[in-house]
Amino acid sequence: MPTLNDILILLPEFYLVAAACVLLLLDAFMKPAQRGVLHWLSIAVLLVGIYLVVSGQPDVPVTAFGGMFVRDGVAEILKVFALLTTALVFVYARPYLVDRKLFVGEFYTLAIFAVIGVMLLVSAGNLVMVYLGLELLTLSSYALVALNRDSRLSSEAAIKYFVLGAMASGMLLYGMSMVYGATGTLALAQLHGAAAHTAMPNLLVFGLIFMIVGIGFKLGAAPFHMWIPDVYEGSPTAVTIFIGSAPKLAAFGMAYRLLDTGLGDLSHYWQPVLAVLAVLSLAIGNLVAIVQSNLKRLLAYSTISHMGYLLLGLVNAGPEGYASAMFYAISYALMGTAAFGVILALARAGFECDRIDDLKGLNHRSPWLAFLMLLVMFSLAGVPPLFGFFAKLMVLEAAIHAGMVWLAVVGAIAAIVGLYYYLRVVKVMYFDRPDEGMETRVQPDFALRAVLSVNALVLLALGLGWGPLLNWCRAVFPG
Amino acid sequence: MITLSHYIVLGAVLFCIAVAGLFINRKNVIVLLMAIELMLLAVNTNFVAFSRFLGDVSGQVFVFFILTVAAAESAIGLAILVLLFRNRSTINIAEIDSMKG
Amino acid sequence: MIDPNLFQLVCFYAFSAVTVLAALSVILLRNSVHAVLALVLTFFSTACVWLLAEAEFLAIALIVVYVGAVMVLFLFVVMMLDIKQEQVREGFIRYLPVGLVVALVMLVEMLALIGVRAMHAVSMGADPAAAAGVSNTAWLGTALYTQYLLPFEVAALILTVGVIAAVALTLRHRTGSRHQSAGQQVGIDPSRRVRVVKMAAVRAEEPEAVQEETRT
Repeated sequence: MPTLNDILILLPEFYLVAAACVLLLLDAFMKPAQRGVLHWLSIAVLLVGIYLVVSGQPDVPVTAFGGMFVRDGVAEILKVFALLTTALVFVYARPYLVDRKLFVGEFYTLAIFAVIGVMLLVSAGNLVMVYLGLELLTLSSYALVALNRDSRLSSEAAIKYFVLGAMASGMLLYGMSMVYGATGTLALAQLHGAAAHTAMPNLLVFGLIFMIVGIGFKLGAAPFHMWIPDVYEGSPTAVTIFIGSAPKLAAFGMAYRLLDTGLGDLSHYWQPVLAVLAVLSLAIGNLVAIVQSNLKRLLAYSTISHMGYLLLGLVNAGPEGYASAMFYAISYALMGTAAFGVILALARAGFECDRIDDLKGLNHRSPWLAFLMLLVMFSLAGVPPLFGFFAKLMVLEAAIHAGMVWLAVVGAIAAIVGLYYYLRVVKVMYFDRPDEGMETRVQPDFALRAVLSVNALVLLALGLGWGPLLNWCRAVFPG
Repeated sequence: MITLSHYIVLGAVLFCIAVAGLFINRKNVIVLLMAIELMLLAVNTNFVAFSRFLGDVSGQVFVFFILTVAAAESAIGLAILVLLFRNRSTINIAEIDSMKG
Repeated sequence: MIDPNLFQLVCFYAFSAVTVLAALSVILLRNSVHAVLALVLTFFSTACVWLLAEAEFLAIALIVVYVGAVMVLFLFVVMMLDIKQEQVREGFIRYLPVGLVVALVMLVEMLALIGVRAMHAVSMGADPAAAAGVSNTAWLGTALYTQYLLPFEVAALILTVGVIAAVALTLRHRTGSRHQSAGQQVGIDPSRRVRVVKMAAVRAEEPEAVQEETRT
């Protein structure tokens, strides 16, 4: 039976559920003109959530509800950054949503429910919780992608996302059923011991493969990446930015829980598979990104390659590898949010700013925004001394320490190829003349401009002082 | 005597039919949604069989949750389908090609 | 006297055959409505197979939840959308052989990998719920409301999201559509609707004028 202690362990989650329900009701009884209140209230809800996560963090990992829920350092870090990036998303998204008459309460409620899904997923102590957390996240995401109801692209993207996502869930579940059959337990902690002496090892490995397919889909790693470009392009940019932030942290959390906490004994089986996924993601992501003319698609392929780097960290299958992969996931979430934030700052009613050519001569039109975009692009490309560089360095180091030097070499080559298309964006901004009649009106929203500036400058700051964050990531993985 | 393998084979056959349905069907999104339902049915059959075989209740509880989530999932899937039909007047997969994936 | 084990096996094969045939027709039938009905049959026969594994609660839930709610929703959508039959599934024949071959190869590989032969020797064992001395429903319910209480709550959240999403995506307030508002109808003030006008009584001296009044 749950005790008060169990509930206290889940306090941040319970609080967010209650807050989401209150916001939902408020929205129903509010006049559309008062939605601004809802906006700021949602951001406040997320920030208080961060406070609750950090302040109630126990010194040692604790479990609640009979092992269903685990509250440890890994979950803490992932939750903090999931909540933080979602708050950033809310700030950046508002002008875009207002311009397109999408400024509705459902955007906020669904996004908060998705974040609750992320939090439950990264704290899951049982396969059931992994599945339910994941579905809470993805079901909210499907609806968010389709939120622009009159857009053809939006509904197309949503149906593709839905069909492929549901298929991935099916694969994941099929794998889980096999793992359950082979070990007789759904609890991740018990799986760890049971995997070693199962009577049906074939069944277990078979289940593992299906689970990796599911994880690959959710990460967006090649060859399971087909949905990423279309979903990124077709969704309203305000939703794309969300899909690219917190869910990536969740995907890392899910991979860690399933592959290490659950099936860590089988690491010699899943390491090579993840290595193949990593190489394919790095190759496909970077090569296809070169030929893109749509900025959102370019960032989509760039995501695929970044997931390749994240996998390089996971391949290590040790504390160092997990820490570097988590560090990478955090860096990607911050960089992706900033990159889409710039697009949102330039978009206005009737103008999506989603082609690379739309950035032509941005330096002449808005030097500060061009500079922020420059920082973000360099960070994504991995140019020192920006955050992205050190994140890449850490995962490459982890791959070398795992004895996979060839993999690190592939990663380094991919980084050089990647440099090309990020530099192309920078070149368009700084060296191309703006077309005739290209006028720039940066979103006048002060909050957006201020927070976006801080977000991009943080990439520089963390590039210069990345030690504390990395140490925090390393401390939570027991050696 | 019914053995575990009977159920697992049935689950595998259903799963393969579902995968085949996802791949050969190039025309109609509704059939894709139904193929996904078949896939979940295969999973559920596996869980029921393993649960019975292991004498453990967790498998059947998992089936309960999968049924619940699948109901919510199909509601959202069909809502998106209705939106798509409103915007495009088609649910033909070959025509859903505004973006080249 | 028939051997109960044999009888069960025959039942299993019969229900499984129906399940597989119905599942095949779901993906092969040309008409979407027929395909949905085939899926209903698949669920029914699978429920029977589950009954053989003594998972009574889930078998009934499958019929009540799936056939009763989800499949009706499918049918509703299929019939609501005006799908042109002749267009649907052209080019189907082109992919059919490849798809079936791939599926068959996949099936054989899966079965070989899983090691079905080894499992064939293993019998299912006694019904665990009966061994515990309770019904299947009680067995399941006890676990659901104790050990799996947290997932149960999360499932409720997922259903909430399902409702929010479905409403947010499909509910439209049409402007300019005419509909009754019960609240307004009830809440009217009679004094504003009926105006009692005092008129001097007139004789029917001007029949033409009266006729015009009634016409308007």
